[in-house]
Amino acid sequence: MITFEKVYKSYPGSPEVLQNINLEILSGELVFVTGPSGAGKTTLLKLISAIEKPSSGSIIFESQNLSRIKDTEIPILRRRFGMIFQDHKLLYDRNCFENVALPLEINNMSISDMNRRVRAALDKVDLLKKEKMMPITLSGGEQQRLAIARAIVSRPSILIADEPTANLDKEYAEEIMNIFYSFQQVGVTVIISTHELPSTKINFKRLQLNGGSIQNLIGHVQLPA
Amino acid sequence: MMIIVIGITLCLPSAGLLLIENAGQISQNIEHEAEISIFLDKTVSKDQIDFIELSLKKNSLIKKIHFEPKLIAWDKLQSKLDVAVSSSVSKNPLPDAFFISLNTLDEIKIQKLIDNLDGIDGIDSVTVDGNWIKKLRIGLSLIKLSVFFIAALLIIVLLVVIGNTIRLQTLTYKDEIEVSKLIGATNAFIQRPFMYTGILYGLGGGIITISILKLSVLGLNATLIKLASIFGTDIIFQDLPHRFYLYIVILAMLIGLISSYISARNSIQRLKIYK
Repeated sequence: MITFEKVYKSYPGSPEVLQNINLEILSGELVFVTGPSGAGKTTLLKLISAIEKPSSGSIIFESQNLSRIKDTEIPILRRRFGMIFQDHKLLYDRNCFENVALPLEINNMSISDMNRRVRAALDKVDLLKKEKMMPITLSGGEQQRLAIARAIVSRPSILIADEPTANLDKEYAEEIMNIFYSFQQVGVTVIISTHELPSTKINFKRLQLNGGSIQNLIGHVQLPA
Repeated sequence: MMIIVIGITLCLPSAGLLLIENAGQISQNIEHEAEISIFLDKTVSKDQIDFIELSLKKNSLIKKIHFEPKLIAWDKLQSKLDVAVSSSVSKNPLPDAFFISLNTLDEIKIQKLIDNLDGIDGIDSVTVDGNWIKKLRIGLSLIKLSVFFIAALLIIVLLVVIGNTIRLQTLTYKDEIEVSKLIGATNAFIQRPFMYTGILYGLGGGIITISILKLSVLGLNATLIKLASIFGTDIIFQDLPHRFYLYIVILAMLIGLISSYISARNSIQRLKIYK
């Protein structure tokens, strides 16, 4: 589904952030991208979501080469991804409902369909009762759940989460991870970057980065719960 | 605030246009009453005068004909001059003359008429008494050109000012733009509300311009009516035709649209997401 072939990424005036990345992520997989700060985890996710283009090599997503994607095609591509960020990237002048509705507004969905889909997404993350509340009034864990609701509302085939539990305590972090696992269970590909591996009963693929290179690629690991 | 700036800025060239329109109408009215003087030979016979008068009456370009015999002209002149001057002239130096006013302002037609008149026996010379109107018209054309030049400069100023305001707005909504881009919004989708804002600025500014112009015309005419009753004149400041007001609003909205489009497009394209 997503294939990296000899991918390098560097920024002007700095050493290579990613070097010779070769990997394959299959449809419906749960992938943890792990590594210390500066290992290139976020850059890898940016390449998958076409926020950045590789310096060399190719990234193939469903027969589309993201290295050569046109700028006008990027928005359409991104609508197929659900993205979750460490800092949530919520809009604090809109309420919970409006935040989750944003991707559907972009897709020009009808109001009735939008209402139905947004409420379903909020229900999935257990925030339906707080749909009229402003994000600032929510706890850190709730804000991250809201960000997940926004990511899943357009029913993407891939969920990409950049350190989604970095600022959360253990209890909230587990709660968030369980939501991701539930999506993986219904066939959504979930790619999560994280410092440490969380505990899970589900099979997953671990991609360990260090200094911009893949140090270890372990497939189908099942950790004891 | 922005719509007030647009309104007042557009007021300057619009007021200039209003003044030009009024001055143009006055010059046209005066020109309609302008005369051509036809001076006859001093030896012209009565038959020749009748023939010339008949020729003039047949000409469709001529609205009014007035014949002034040389004796009457001389009497009029003498009454204006002091006795010493008139007594020093022994003979009447003035010729018989026709004074005509025309139906047309077309310079080519007027010149053709003059050429025809010059060819008639008994006519000594033909003079158009409207050179000062020509000068006035040239002056008005120059003023019109200046107004258009000033309008062009002010439009550039408005494009910059509105563009800058929209650019600042894009910075205010930076987070929203970033999130929208990240979740798949096209630049056109993100640009749209900024362009609506630009159009609304233009619409508001255009309405303010119209309001100021209308109020100015009403105020001026109220004063002119008072003056008219004192001095016995009937000068009224003519309002611009309605289509001009429509043009002003359309122009203001276009300025808003163009500047917001350029500014929002550049700002959104430059915005780096998820750094």
